[in-house]
Amino acid sequence: MMKRGFVFVLAFCLALPGISLAANVKIGFINSITGPEAPIGENLTNGVTLAIEDLKKKGIDVQLLKEDDTGKPQISMSAMEKLAGQGVSGVVGPYTSACANAVAKLAEKYKVPLLVPAAAKEEITRQHLKYVYRLNAPADQYASSLIDAALAMGKPKTVAFIYENTDFGTSTTKTAKEYVAKKGIKVVADESYSKGSPDYRSTLTKIKAQKPDLVFMVSYVADAILLMRQSREIGLQPQAFLGGGAGFTTVQFAKEKEISNNVFSTTQWTDDVNWPGAKDFFNRYKSKFGKEPTYHAACAYQAMLIMAETASKNGGDREKTRAGLKSGSWKGIMGDTKFEDYDGFTNQNKHQMLILQIQNGQFETVFPIKFASKKPVFPFPKWK
Amino acid sequence: MTVLLQSLISGILIGGVYALIGIGLTIIFGVMRVINFAHGDILMVGMYMTYILFTSLGIDPFVSIVITIPLMFLFGAFLQKLFINRMQGALPQNQILLTIGLGLIMSNTMMLIFTSDYKILSTSYSSESFNVAGISISSPLAISFLITAAITLLLYWFLLKTDTGQAIRATAQDREAAQLMGINVRWMSILAFGIGSALAGTAGALISPTYYIFPQIGGIFTLKAFVITVLGGMGSIVGATLGGVIIGVAESVSAVYISSGWKDVVVFVLFLLVLLFKPAGLMGKSRM
Repeated sequence: MMKRGFVFVLAFCLALPGISLAANVKIGFINSITGPEAPIGENLTNGVTLAIEDLKKKGIDVQLLKEDDTGKPQISMSAMEKLAGQGVSGVVGPYTSACANAVAKLAEKYKVPLLVPAAAKEEITRQHLKYVYRLNAPADQYASSLIDAALAMGKPKTVAFIYENTDFGTSTTKTAKEYVAKKGIKVVADESYSKGSPDYRSTLTKIKAQKPDLVFMVSYVADAILLMRQSREIGLQPQAFLGGGAGFTTVQFAKEKEISNNVFSTTQWTDDVNWPGAKDFFNRYKSKFGKEPTYHAACAYQAMLIMAETASKNGGDREKTRAGLKSGSWKGIMGDTKFEDYDGFTNQNKHQMLILQIQNGQFETVFPIKFASKKPVFPFPKWK
Repeated sequence: MTVLLQSLISGILIGGVYALIGIGLTIIFGVMRVINFAHGDILMVGMYMTYILFTSLGIDPFVSIVITIPLMFLFGAFLQKLFINRMQGALPQNQILLTIGLGLIMSNTMMLIFTSDYKILSTSYSSESFNVAGISISSPLAISFLITAAITLLLYWFLLKTDTGQAIRATAQDREAAQLMGINVRWMSILAFGIGSALAGTAGALISPTYYIFPQIGGIFTLKAFVITVLGGMGSIVGATLGGVIIGVAESVSAVYISSGWKDVVVFVLFLLVLLFKPAGLMGKSRM
């Protein structure tokens, strides 16, 4: 009797994968799981975890092949080669711009559909690559939407740039400079820095001497806090601080009220936006992982949903999946998604950026008006 | 003019902390001839220690060094006794691998415990500053500079005037001769590694109110520590002090007059020039 029961269980176990095989898709996921970019990478991993849960509910069983690129392009590339060899239907990732750009060409070479969830460098979707798709808005949107917002609030005439000398920082600033030139704003300072230095005071002093109307900063996580702390120390007082990108949209940054209040930033996603499921995603994420999701999490979540659904609809065939991504359109926590060709971009989702301002330690959406939850504070109040 | 003075002051203040990191590394190298690649990670452990003391017990980061110093000393002594000691006299590459490995274990353990999130230690004075003749000086950096200076002086006194200090220097000059003179060189090694770790940990504690903390931060400081010690002369404490201040000032002045993106280039060019014209570093070698 025991033996028969055992055989039954064994048979059941063996049969089980067979049952779900019908809707089983193999998706690769390249992310910075360790290394200096790991704090943000964690958000992407968690977003994908939630996506896999939701896909399961829809009857799509995803076999996820996770690869850690440690934030280095060369490791990212070997991860892509490995995944291509393992027969994935598509790949979501990598996180950083440098990695995504390196992997994009490989995706084309191996004909593996690649959906980049959160890398901002424009070039990624500007190389006419048929297999490379991007969900988030590229870097030029970061800058132009922030500057548009500043122009809507006042009449700034000069701007100072301080940015991280990485792919993300320089490409965001480059497009910002082109954009302000069009709008007739003069660039009075242009300072790049290498991340992780404990002291930016000297650079900020140099900027202060130019008395800019706007200070535009681009940085990853913790440098944002240091830059603002030290701006306060030396008394840098523009009409507005514009924070491009990751570092200025973290909860940690907002918590440092003394220095973060009234700083503008731009983001791909917030929980108070009226895109379907956004609030729900926020709550689920928070209860499951114990912290608030960043936009990266939402991007990765939506990217995984899109990739896995398209792949399973097309039976895991790479070529059909690619065509499916091109022709499909989605509505979800990232708003309306459709991959289009425009302004030199290929397979780029025209994503609407949101402008946020920190008010009393909270991120409030202040632009565009139809999504706004609060009125902006402008000009920047005097430092206390 | 204000800009130049501002960058000089910032450079010297941050250079003080660099010096502390460099001195730790140089003592370890001097006494044991072991290149400690885990130095930055030891500093990182010191940062987390300060962070815990501050967040759970509410002890001010600058006061907490009273606890951090002995704990980090014990931690260093423990590392030396258990691991490094066994590699004494082994091939240099094996020693390097050992210390790199220890560093990796430390940073990944911290990642397991604290996750890879950036931790920010915000004290009431974290973004305070005061003005001297138009130059703004960060209060936490100024305090940490004073503490650094005090510790460095104390260390000089210890090494120059006390018996144990002289024994450490003797071991650094010639291990075998020191042993023949009846100095317990094993004990001196433990002591040196302990002091080195305590200094790195203290440096971590001192910069934590103005910097941020994450498990992989060690690498940045290991590299800085190397440049500082080699620049000053491996094994020379005066050299490391000088090296720290030079690097701090070079970084901050070049950030203003060239570009902060280029400051590392300036630092390394300076470093290469010193090595080219004075291969043993500014203060020669192994004099303590």
